[in-house]
Amino acid sequence: MAEQKGFTLWFTGLSGSGKTTLAKAVERELRQRGLKVERLDGDIVRQSLTRDLGFSKEDRDKNIERVTFVAKLLTRNGVATLCSFISPYREVRARSRAEIGNFVEVYCDCPLETCIERDVKGLYKKALNGEIENFTGVSDPYEPPENPEIVVHTDRETVEESTAIILRRLTELGYLEAEAGEVYSEEEETAVEERLRALGYI
Amino acid sequence: MSLFSRFRAKRKPRVVVIGLDGTPYTFVRRALELGRMPNFARMLGEGAFRRMNSVHPCVSSVAWSCYMTGKNPAKHGIYGFIDRKPGTYDTTIPTSRAMRSETLWEILSRAGKRVIVMNVPVTYPPRQVNGVLIGGFLSPTIEKAVYPPGEAETLKRLKYIIDADPWAARQSKDKALAEVNAALESRERTLLHYMDNEEWDFLQCHVMETDRLYHFLWKQMATDDSVYAPRFWQVIAQIDALLGEVYDRLDENTTMIVMSDHGFCTLKYEVYINHWLARRGWLVLPEERPQRLQLADVGPRSLAYSLDPGRIFINLRGREPAGQVAPGAEYEALRDEIASAAMEELRDPETGVPMIAHVFRREELYHGPLLDQAADLILAPVDGYDLKGAMGKETLTFQGDELVGMHTYDDAMLWIRGQSIAVESFSVTDVMPTVLHLMGVPVPGDVDGRVLL
Repeated sequence: MAEQKGFTLWFTGLSGSGKTTLAKAVERELRQRGLKVERLDGDIVRQSLTRDLGFSKEDRDKNIERVTFVAKLLTRNGVATLCSFISPYREVRARSRAEIGNFVEVYCDCPLETCIERDVKGLYKKALNGEIENFTGVSDPYEPPENPEIVVHTDRETVEESTAIILRRLTELGYLEAEAGEVYSEEEETAVEERLRALGYI
Repeated sequence: MSLFSRFRAKRKPRVVVIGLDGTPYTFVRRALELGRMPNFARMLGEGAFRRMNSVHPCVSSVAWSCYMTGKNPAKHGIYGFIDRKPGTYDTTIPTSRAMRSETLWEILSRAGKRVIVMNVPVTYPPRQVNGVLIGGFLSPTIEKAVYPPGEAETLKRLKYIIDADPWAARQSKDKALAEVNAALESRERTLLHYMDNEEWDFLQCHVMETDRLYHFLWKQMATDDSVYAPRFWQVIAQIDALLGEVYDRLDENTTMIVMSDHGFCTLKYEVYINHWLARRGWLVLPEERPQRLQLADVGPRSLAYSLDPGRIFINLRGREPAGQVAPGAEYEALRDEIASAAMEELRDPETGVPMIAHVFRREELYHGPLLDQAADLILAPVDGYDLKGAMGKETLTFQGDELVGMHTYDDAMLWIRGQSIAVESFSVTDVMPTVLHLMGVPVPGDVDGRVLL
């Protein structure tokens, strides 16, 4: 097997759009394939790497800036790095993309109403009651990616379906080895070889 | 088409690419002079028509992969119609799964463009696009060839044919023509269906039938055979009519491109590189031979072997399971020895002229993360000598009458309507960034090709 090529899978989307859930599912798959994986998650890094930061625009930018730095180091050392952050601003994501290089943007597309319904962490309720300021989608804008490598629709795909979409795209983008099989049945493969032989191509 | 989409279609830049596999620039010039392509003749002056290079080796799988990715093979991973499974002597047929790069239509899809892609080599199994993709000639069935799967019904209704049957075509020239004509009609029918009934920003139709026609009847055309040359030209007339049909449907916001991936010439000899390697003692074949020798039958004492077309691999220690040649000085010395011997010894059995124009070391042709999968030496033949990887052939050369045409490197063609081409010398790899430019979509930074306009 060729040496693992590092990349950063950057999950962006509203709170409750399924970023962490998908990152964990993809992490499991990548580990099964024997890849080195690290997962950087908003909730985790805010307890360590960026615990001194709040949620003002400036602090949110700083949060992403530090995470980007770490992701860059991991990526250039051949690690599959999974980042899940709301990262609502296009410009900030563009900076991370430029900094990291092998950057694959995954847009977790999910209507705000669905995220509010889910409200896994009870944050929307608080935000809607005015208890949290600058809450993305409620009192702060979310700028959807214009040109993401991957779009998953978490309101109408299962976790397995979205995970499969992400893994297939990673293969197409050259970050994962293609899995063998299912392209041709044995019979089909023989027929294809015969065709090539008839044309003098093999 | 709805009123809204008509309005949209009028304002946005669109591109349609017609790929005429293997159609040489010099041949089209001649056909124009002979008045055999009246439609293309009236289109010609509206754009730039230029000769274009293919890639090495100049086979459709590699050339179209370079086209659709805008990259050299060490970035997309497709080096031929057949390849080794890494770390084994097993061979495999590379498909779209092995292509380690984004394609033109995937980048366009990502930018929100709607694409229709039909029959381009190495697009099976179909990868997801924003639109419709019909896999190329190595698709096993219509059901498996299409994305989204629902399109299979449409194709069946249109009596779509994936490819002419080459074994039938080998039986007689009449059968070859019947196969080519049937496939061509189905292609045109399907293309026009999608042009007229679907919304699209980018549409690519690949005509494989030209390549098939040339493989089986090029010589008959070139020698003006009294029976088959006229029938060859009938197919060309059909293709010219297809170009006219497409052209007449387009508005001023749509750029039409007609291109090929390599040229063609009359085949003088098939040349069996493994026969030569065996004669020189570099390849050791087993005493007892199965009916069809494969790479897996190569004897463990072999130092080198070849796969189609003209790709020579060193049996390298640490890479091949029974590697014999040490990396470093020993490897380099053997490469040098084989390269100079190939130039010196591989000669036309009648005239004695060299059959090899150039021997490339892989790093001279390719650059990128997948370089280690490339052949160690790539032989570029003189036109007319078709380098084959078949094992266990009793002679160095062979002259048959079934396959009578072969590919050439420097005679592909490119026509772009309404544009002039600013670059002197260019290759199929340069077309993809040019299409992105025409459609106003940024060219990714790792693309090798240049915008030609």
